[in-house]
Amino acid sequence: MTAVNPTAGGGAGPQNVFMDQFNLEARTQRVWDINHAIWFTLMGVGGGVFLAGRILNLTEGLGQVLGIPTVDVVSFLAIAVGGAILVADLGRPLQAWRAFVNVRTSWISWGAWSDLIFLVVAGLLVLPALSLGGSEPFSGLAWDPHGGDGGGLALEIVAGVAAVVVMTYAGAVLARPRAIPYWNSPAVPLQFLLSSAAMSVAVVMLIEVIAGEPVTAGQMVLLAVLTAALLVTMVVHLLTRTAEPGKQESLERLLRGQYRGLFAGFVVAAGTALPLVLAVVGAAASGARDAMAVLCFLLLVPGGFWLRLVTLRVGIFPPVHIPSVRGPRSTASTTGD
Amino acid sequence: MTRWGMVIDAARCVGCQACTVACKTENQSPLDAWYAPVIEWEEGEFPDATLNYLPVLCNHCEDAPCVTACPSGALKRRDDGIVIADEDVCIGSRACMTACPYGALHFFEDRGTVAVEGAPAEASPSVPERYAHQRHVRGAVSKCTYCSHKIDFGLENGLEVGVHPLATPACVVTCPAECRIFGDLDDPGSNVSRYLADHGGGEVLRPDAKTLPSTQYVGLP
Repeated sequence: MTAVNPTAGGGAGPQNVFMDQFNLEARTQRVWDINHAIWFTLMGVGGGVFLAGRILNLTEGLGQVLGIPTVDVVSFLAIAVGGAILVADLGRPLQAWRAFVNVRTSWISWGAWSDLIFLVVAGLLVLPALSLGGSEPFSGLAWDPHGGDGGGLALEIVAGVAAVVVMTYAGAVLARPRAIPYWNSPAVPLQFLLSSAAMSVAVVMLIEVIAGEPVTAGQMVLLAVLTAALLVTMVVHLLTRTAEPGKQESLERLLRGQYRGLFAGFVVAAGTALPLVLAVVGAAASGARDAMAVLCFLLLVPGGFWLRLVTLRVGIFPPVHIPSVRGPRSTASTTGD
Repeated sequence: MTRWGMVIDAARCVGCQACTVACKTENQSPLDAWYAPVIEWEEGEFPDATLNYLPVLCNHCEDAPCVTACPSGALKRRDDGIVIADEDVCIGSRACMTACPYGALHFFEDRGTVAVEGAPAEASPSVPERYAHQRHVRGAVSKCTYCSHKIDFGLENGLEVGVHPLATPACVVTCPAECRIFGDLDDPGSNVSRYLADHGGGEVLRPDAKTLPSTQYVGLP
């Protein structure tokens, strides 16, 4: 049998010190990992909670922190912490401002701008409600922090659009280049958007439960629709371009390799399918709704994080060149681990 | 319009790694960063076995995904087609590294023992201008530049690029098998264009990535 045996370090044959950077094996990306998964998750939740709070009209009645609606505070905190993690992960954090430069082509620049615009505009929106030591120093500002008048609504729309970009851009960063076939799909940003939306609705429902407000059947239906759509997107992504070099190896690791349990158990089953079932049950049974809401939160947020981490970890570069061989090639050890 | 490019005749490569070392010496690339190595792999089984070599480096793509992904504008494609990384501008997001299909970008991580203080691999204002390409910035990404400092030097001093050793990438100059040829891909009379024409055109790595590389190959295994 004829086979190609790349002489990677640790394998048979001479050691090649360059194999980790340039090789004929499929190569697992190790550039982005857990910090990025946390960042992606927090950005998704941050943008989504703001949107969910506004769309579901829940800014009033779920408590306030310093006069600012709790949902908005959660949103700002998530984005601020996510942004801080991103900056800390840069090779040169003090140069972080340069991330805003290349808006012409870079999705990271788009993300940086959308984060900034969101925090500034949404911050301005809620500023009139800010209460410090019993006084409201910005109450004279001429707009309704809940979007009830023209000025408030305009700020709400700008912040809402920025929030959608915040929820999506991480997926777009991964999906745009063709280098990693598993990432190079519109399904990735779509998954990130749907997962962010589902996590956010779950977070808002948890805040409702804590505040003693009723979770509605409509919210449960919305959650069911989002999780069902996420599930469909995952399945479509798994079933397309399956024979493509690189994606083949990614799917191998995801469905049969080391991430099988994590993906099937925590992302698909516990992180998406079970919340879908719980949301359907919650929509039908009003008595169980609070418990379902809490369970959905406990399952969906970790599920969203695992989805992002697994997506990063199964990112595999195909070989730079596939030699023309006369016999079957061994691919069993081609994932770089 | 000039578009600098390299043709690599993989069938000529003997795997001596002289190019790898010449590049390292010329550019003083950070530890673990090899801009122009030769990769090798075995094929077949004894007695019908061969050892294959493939010299690789940045492909200086016309549609460079690293340039597209870079948020800071540190990665740029010059008018002559050379893709460069401005390490002083780089923020270390490493988006380029996930976008490049070839693994041609290298992150200079601060591991504490990478370089001796004051050595060229450190970013240091004491390094003379003519060695500026040997200064590397911690936390930034660096890459092969086709030895653009040599090309620029050659053009400024009337030397023929791709022919005169002072105006030709170090890996090309040092190759004992003459498997690397450097020149203007847009000039039909250049050494690279003629070599490609003589060999029925070139191939590229990862054609599926559609990056339009300026590094082309003949004699690929």
